[in-house]
Amino acid sequence: MKYKVISIYITVMLLFTCPERLFSQITNESYRVETIKMPDGLTSETGAVEFLPDGRLVASFTRGEVMTYNTLTKEWKLFAEGLHDPLGILVISNSELLIMQRPELTRVKDTDGDGIADLYEKVTDDFGLSGNYHEFNYGPVKDKDDNLFIALNSSSGGGNIRSEVRGQINPLGRESGSKGQMFSNLPYRGWMMKLGKDGKLQPFASGFRSPNGIGFDLEGNLFATDNQGDWIGTSPLHHVQEGRFYGHPGSLVWQKGWNRGNPFLLPIPVLDSMRTRGAVLFPHGIIANSPTQPVCDNTSGKFGPFSGQLIIGEMNKERIVRVMLERVGGELQGACIPFIDGNGLRKGNNRLAFAPDGSLWIGQNAHGWLGDMGIQRIVFTGKQPADIYSMNLTEKGFDLIFTEPLDVSTAINPENFKFRHYYYKYQSKYGSDQFDIQNVPVTGIKISNDRKKVSLTLASLKPGYVYELNLGDIKTSTGNSLNNKLICYTLNKLKSSSVN
Amino acid sequence: MRPDKKIFSLMMAILSIVQLYAQNTTDTVRTIKIDVLVGLQFDLVRFNVKPGEKLNLIFSNSDDMSHNLLITKPGARLEVVNEALKLGQKGPEMDYIPISSSVLWSIPVVNPNQFRTLSFTAPKQEGVYPYVCTLPGHGFIMFGAMYVNSDGRMPELKDDSNIPPNRRVGDNSFSGTQHTNHQVKGEDQAVKIKALHPYTPVSPYIYRVFIDGASPAAIAVSLPGDLSYCWDAGTCKLRFAWRGGFLDNSELWKGKGDVSAKVVGNLFFRDKTQFPLSFSADNNAPKLDYKGYKLIKRYPEFHYTINGIDVYELILPKADGKGLSRTFRIPNVKSTVWFNTDQSDGVKYEALTGSWEGNRLKLTSKEAREFSIIMSVKEGGLL
Repeated sequence: MKYKVISIYITVMLLFTCPERLFSQITNESYRVETIKMPDGLTSETGAVEFLPDGRLVASFTRGEVMTYNTLTKEWKLFAEGLHDPLGILVISNSELLIMQRPELTRVKDTDGDGIADLYEKVTDDFGLSGNYHEFNYGPVKDKDDNLFIALNSSSGGGNIRSEVRGQINPLGRESGSKGQMFSNLPYRGWMMKLGKDGKLQPFASGFRSPNGIGFDLEGNLFATDNQGDWIGTSPLHHVQEGRFYGHPGSLVWQKGWNRGNPFLLPIPVLDSMRTRGAVLFPHGIIANSPTQPVCDNTSGKFGPFSGQLIIGEMNKERIVRVMLERVGGELQGACIPFIDGNGLRKGNNRLAFAPDGSLWIGQNAHGWLGDMGIQRIVFTGKQPADIYSMNLTEKGFDLIFTEPLDVSTAINPENFKFRHYYYKYQSKYGSDQFDIQNVPVTGIKISNDRKKVSLTLASLKPGYVYELNLGDIKTSTGNSLNNKLICYTLNKLKSSSVN
Repeated sequence: MRPDKKIFSLMMAILSIVQLYAQNTTDTVRTIKIDVLVGLQFDLVRFNVKPGEKLNLIFSNSDDMSHNLLITKPGARLEVVNEALKLGQKGPEMDYIPISSSVLWSIPVVNPNQFRTLSFTAPKQEGVYPYVCTLPGHGFIMFGAMYVNSDGRMPELKDDSNIPPNRRVGDNSFSGTQHTNHQVKGEDQAVKIKALHPYTPVSPYIYRVFIDGASPAAIAVSLPGDLSYCWDAGTCKLRFAWRGGFLDNSELWKGKGDVSAKVVGNLFFRDKTQFPLSFSADNNAPKLDYKGYKLIKRYPEFHYTINGIDVYELILPKADGKGLSRTFRIPNVKSTVWFNTDQSDGVKYEALTGSWEGNRLKLTSKEAREFSIIMSVKEGGLL
């Protein structure tokens, strides 16, 4: 008893004297956010972050600089300059990069070994360019067969096009109405493109509005995020497959053999039947407003327990999102959950890359929208996070697997699992309200013997809806609270309708 | 102007007329218009009303994100912003408007190119009433102040702590990244001008930018001696050249960049040819392919092909600084090569090799493997 009083006394004293240091120890956070000091004079709106084979970070910035950062000596060094809004880097070697800029994909190489790039070679510029401010280009990313993929933003209805453009304008790629929708009147705006080893840039998949972030998972599936707006009710993550159309109409005019006129004039049910829905929807204002690059946790545990899952940046909030996917009825679908919220993280989380040591580096940007500047990194402290590991659809509800065994009494209390569902409309209008918002009662709860899996039965399951789950105060068996209590599953297909 | 914006403006104009008409008949309702600027700002950051004055607020959104507008009790902006954040997943369905006695009036979410109106009577109580957009993340920077008092007083703009810091310097100014990009001359200016890069650019250097008078794939190059040129990767040729500065990118680098870089100085050359090089006398439209550039002592040597034949072009300042020296290499050419000019392009030409035929320089295939053209500014010949 006496010891207890003394220890409380000491704890209080310590809290009082050095709250910051002690706090980080007693809360035992699983992830720590660190801020990287940027060089003086750099407007560090970050367009890309990647790692070189020798372990240095390489980053590009809005004003055209490409710089390297030695993580040990903390030295910044200029590698290249003068690029036009470079938004993606693919590392070839310590002295050679492929960089996606406005006018082209460029090979930037130091050929004389002085540490400064001297060769800027076009890899491809075989796509249209009007000078519209929104014609951002993303990627490149490389598949297992060394094909490259780049994504081309649609042009903004709110912006100008220049009198001199690159490519032949097709006016059918732009709506004639009054809604200021994004458009695609030059070749392949709004497309994912594939660059084969023959050097030819080929259209791969269409229907993108603003796909600010593309990436592969460990199985070789290609993903792209898109941004809420016209035709995009809420921001999605797409599983990008050849020949598919992902919803924004303008790009369809560049589909081989297109003979159906202005795609904006097609009836919405027709367009809807052509499109592939987002594998995961990020509910707007709830999970993410402007999701960015998906990176797959390939650290084999160095970054914590979520190996193989996707980590995705968010521009508008101090947030990084985590995505877990599964195959249902032959298609990928799944759930999204906040991963880092606040904790010193800034906004504008535009580009992500895993360092060789397993820490996650985040390049931040605003670009005239909501965001921040600079680079931060997230370090796994080694303390197992108490979190949802995965959420899987069953025939009657969902299975939740947790990273830690749960306290049974809180885990089987139905009050601690509040579901509601809603859907977003596919429409030309900017964004979509949530429709048919309904609470969905949990009618059954089971917990596994290892107390890590909770199986929930729901009163009903409807395809085409987002299932949003708010967890109550569920504790782990060691008494910890969960890091995140909000998770949203995109139910495109029911399990029972699964062919396999 | 595009049709959709036209219609939007037309609707706004009709609305204003309706408002005017309403004003004429009732003569008591004042209309306040607030729109959205790039970078999460209201275009009107403050205005003055009389206590008890009848008002009609038109909130239009010409931004490309959605916004709302809440008027709060004096001093309650941050409290309301935080209450809105706490709505969490209920935010979207509630238009991010928290239920709070501190919210006096609110306009729900207005999507891009839409508007909504609000009619209300100004409080009797004098004070500074904040208005703010409470979409997540917006409320900390996107706000303004409604001054309610009978004598119309407001503090000096620069001292007004009720408006965002970057708006305290005059309505059209932004803080932060805006500054000119003239070549820095001398220590004094260098101190005053905020750095554009983490290094001081040393000529020659390149910006790939949107610039008027060229395709969107332009390359702007600053040369020593305040000479600059634009070489266009979209058309594989030198488009124009100027003296007296390089570029002002301040508008381009501000916000979303829906503008061009500005040329600083005076143009002395603009290409007027269909294409400056031809491999046959008739100069039919050549098939061009841009390949890239290599930096030689920081000067770019451009590489492109004409009908599949490699061409390299290096542009240096002329020895006296009054023009350009262009060196072409066409190592594998097998035919006669013509270099075409136009009398009205602003410069005088000299060449050490080849023979002039009117405005065209004729080079044998051997001469064309490497040749130089000197372009001198004509006396008083600014374009």
